[in-house]
Amino acid sequence: MGREVSESCVEGLMMEVVSAYSSRLYPAKPDLAARRIEAIGFQVGHQLSERYTMERPRFSDHLEAIKFICKDFWSELFKKQIDNLKTNHRGTFVLQDNRFRWLTRISIDPSTESTDESTPDNNAAQATNMHLYFPCGIIRGALTNLGIPCAVSPDISNLPACSFVVRIKA
Amino acid sequence: MIVCVAVVGNQNNPVYLQSFTEADDALKLHHIVHCSLDVIDERVNNPKRSGPTLNETFLGLLYPTENYKVYGYLTNTKVKFIMVTTDLDVKDADVRNFFRRFHAAYVDAVSNPFHVPGKKITSKSFAERVSVIVKSFGSTAA
Repeated sequence: MGREVSESCVEGLMMEVVSAYSSRLYPAKPDLAARRIEAIGFQVGHQLSERYTMERPRFSDHLEAIKFICKDFWSELFKKQIDNLKTNHRGTFVLQDNRFRWLTRISIDPSTESTDESTPDNNAAQATNMHLYFPCGIIRGALTNLGIPCAVSPDISNLPACSFVVRIKA
Repeated sequence: MIVCVAVVGNQNNPVYLQSFTEADDALKLHHIVHCSLDVIDERVNNPKRSGPTLNETFLGLLYPTENYKVYGYLTNTKVKFIMVTTDLDVKDADVRNFFRRFHAAYVDAVSNPFHVPGKKITSKSFAERVSVIVKSFGSTAA
């Protein structure tokens, strides 16, 4: 039943979704655009988690579910696993991907990072963050479907590695 | 012969309910499905009895009533599949096979972007696939 598309189609679609929501649909409201993109990701993650947990036995606790996200789920989506998983054992997990597939086309301009610390850096950071809201939504949708309500936020302190901070709502 | 299949969501909300009998006891079958939800909850929350099968998806025979046998299956996302059959000797492997194909059809139906999670499944192709799987259940048992 599976039809395949090439990966460049998916990347092109992602770029166009971010660009459409940021500049055409909600031009002056980046927060609203981010929330809409994250909501699309939420539904996609919800449905994908249904599909990728089909053959597996049930998870016994939160850590098992997070490990599933890091290994099987991530390799189905991005053909690689999460490189680093950290936890504070109190409901916060940091999933670090050293070379996130959908960010490989975004340039990192070292000159703006070193000179100014206010606006140009913020613009570049905000633009990059926009591209990460969709994967955050995917993770949140998958975890919610597995019974773990959480909040996921992106973290781009050192590109090209990006982290997703998952906070489980107790 | 399978008389009824049901899909119940994680909030115990009905997602799909279909009976395959011409007789008029559809309500009785719905009642049986509703009661079996309690049995599933009890099985899942009491792990002391089911040691090695704690995390399996297939829950097996839930409870036998006077004419029917009720089988249950719980997915990772807490969605429950319930199957009511009138067969007296049903092989375990057949029921597992049935649930596997049913799960595949369910995943395809839920992946529909127009489907709202939690609402009932209204897709005709899902209903057709389910009736094909139900019809072929009897033949593989023979």
